[in-house]
Amino acid sequence: MLALATRNEDELLKETRAITENATIPSGISSIAIPPYSDPKEFLAQYNKPDSAVSIKFNRGTTTLAFKYQGGVIVAVDSRATGGAYIASQTVKKVIEINPYLLGTMAGGAADCQFWERVLSKHCRIYELRNKERISVAGASKILANMVYSYKNMGLSMGTMIAGWDKRGPGLYYVGDDGTRVTNNIFSVGSGSTYAYGVLDSEYKWDLNDTEAYELGRRAIYHATHRDAMSGGMVRIYHMKSTGWVKISEEDVTDLYYRYKAQEAVAAQ
Amino acid sequence: MECVIGIVGKDFILVASDTNQAHSIVIMKQDDDKLFKINPRGAMLVTGEPGDKVNFAEYIQRNLQLYKMINGYDLSTNAAANYARRELATSLRSRDPYHVNMLIAGHDDHDGASLYFMDYLSSLVKLPFAIHGYGSYFGLSICDKYYKHDMNETEALNLLNKIIAEIQKRLLVQLPSFHVRVINKEGIRDLPTIYAKYQPDQSVRHESMEL
Amino acid sequence: MSRRYDTRTTIFSPEGRLYQVEYALEAISHAGTSLGILANDGILLAAEKRNTNKLLDEVNYSEKIYKLNDDICCSVSGITSDANVLINELRLIAQRYYLNYQEPVPCENLVSSLCNVKQAYTQFGGKRPFGVSILYMGWDKEFGYQLYQSDPSGNYGGWKATCIGNNNQTANSILKQEYKIGETKLADALNLAVKILSKTLDTTKLTSEKIEIATLTRENNKTRIRILTEKEVSELIKHYEAEQAKLEAEKLAKEKAAQQAK
Repeated sequence: MLALATRNEDELLKETRAITENATIPSGISSIAIPPYSDPKEFLAQYNKPDSAVSIKFNRGTTTLAFKYQGGVIVAVDSRATGGAYIASQTVKKVIEINPYLLGTMAGGAADCQFWERVLSKHCRIYELRNKERISVAGASKILANMVYSYKNMGLSMGTMIAGWDKRGPGLYYVGDDGTRVTNNIFSVGSGSTYAYGVLDSEYKWDLNDTEAYELGRRAIYHATHRDAMSGGMVRIYHMKSTGWVKISEEDVTDLYYRYKAQEAVAAQ
Repeated sequence: MECVIGIVGKDFILVASDTNQAHSIVIMKQDDDKLFKINPRGAMLVTGEPGDKVNFAEYIQRNLQLYKMINGYDLSTNAAANYARRELATSLRSRDPYHVNMLIAGHDDHDGASLYFMDYLSSLVKLPFAIHGYGSYFGLSICDKYYKHDMNETEALNLLNKIIAEIQKRLLVQLPSFHVRVINKEGIRDLPTIYAKYQPDQSVRHESMEL
Repeated sequence: MSRRYDTRTTIFSPEGRLYQVEYALEAISHAGTSLGILANDGILLAAEKRNTNKLLDEVNYSEKIYKLNDDICCSVSGITSDANVLINELRLIAQRYYLNYQEPVPCENLVSSLCNVKQAYTQFGGKRPFGVSILYMGWDKEFGYQLYQSDPSGNYGGWKATCIGNNNQTANSILKQEYKIGETKLADALNLAVKILSKTLDTTKLTSEKIEIATLTRENNKTRIRILTEKEVSELIKHYEAEQAKLEAEKLAKEKAAQQAK
């Protein structure tokens, strides 16, 4: 979230101009647009200090997960956005619908994830128009990884999972802001990921049926929101099938809390 | 944390790489492959900064492929290693240098089996055995003691098992499995993955201290 | 007619020709001859020297044959000043390759790299092509002894024996007749080279100061490039003249015998 404390406009303008005029585009990598500062990361950091006149706080803290199983890919996320200790929103959409066969998840900078996955969506559409067929999940994730890699060490913050369905069946990749791109059956990203992994790893089987899979995703996010203060709000679940993605559910974690408590009470009797 | 190992034998190189891909404290992938083929009988084993690793390795890999397309034959292991070194050395003085370490292993008719060790500062050495990562602190002394020239495959595999067993016993960071390959005249051949065998000795009873 | 199309290299004539490139080739066919012969145990380059003025100070040991690196040398025909630029470029390419790969440049790689430069001068704005054809002889671990030829258009090819410069057609037809594929020894090749030069050079009598011969051989796993001394060249010429005289005498004897038989 963005909080701008105003200050003398002239001063700001002068500062911006000074930075822009000193900008040099590094030779050799002129094919990408580079922020007009000699060190973008450092530039950004000065506005992240609490005593700075201009203070920008980023949307951080998340639990997202995705896993492949017999019936496709399950994507489950929370919906809380925090800026420092402040809960900025409880209804953030952390699943980005790239196209009917591709989903992306959002962890780290909300703007970075949204922006780059929108650019990815453009590239995927262009691919479809040129090749008369859908892009593979491997291809799409590689495009994203390459784009992000070219901005490495410039302050991008994102940990995203790309889930989809192509000729090879269900696909799942993790793409990080450091340029990593890995494929696996299970991923969880964000501050609550370790909690989610705990639940996920202990119950996961390839042969899960659909309801079991939804419940596992839901449980994992729920438990992560319980332990991680920066995660919360709602649990959103998507299912990637051979026919494209379907939204399964959106439930408030507080409702889930009472539901699970009630179930436990019933089970105890 | 990552670990890659190379041992030169009589007419082959035995290479092994751990299979973890970690991100901060989380292991994201347990069957990662750190090997990049550079020709039918040559490969790089790469560790280092995530992102850089794949990007640099693929860059070298594709350029060596291009060389073959242009000239009709592959570069020798020596030339390929020196080419990779030069690229890394050039990047070292750039604004954003690649941070990768690698072993380059290959067999060619001219030089036979050879192994090159290169660190992220682009120093390149030809060695009979080499290890990258914390594993080297445990493995190198074992190599120094047990390495013999012209070992056969079984002997080299025995040495490799010794090294991996020690890493799995003493290194704080657990590396539960290693991919193993043999590179020789015939090409690159997969060997069974080595899994952690070490278990604490349960026959020793530790008496609790009594006051 | 051609006036409109031959002023710039980048423009095709209506017949689809690049006049400047053809003129460059023409210039070379008047230049000093160079020939190369591949043998089983080595290669040779032989070249015609035109600057035979007595007052010339012998600063340059060799006039037309240049060493490019430890394993490759070349002989040039054409405009000497252009050739100097290309030889410098060749040496740079060879060193650049060595710097990158820590291995000597493979012969064809060097030739094709230079040809890329030559080709560029036939296409890009307002440049004149290099008026130079080059014969290269070299050794590399991939293909052993090799002989190449390149021309101003940027074309190149590998040869068993070939000739560039003045009278190259005559020379090439003799080579075609007399070169024994797979059976030529370096010693035979030397004699053949002298024979061809004596027949193609515009002089009545061949002398050692008019030609330059270099050989490339492998000895003890190292390439040895050697420019023959004046004495050695004189020996070869003497040997050739003796052979020739013998043939002449035989011919005369035969004719006499034929006459007597009549």
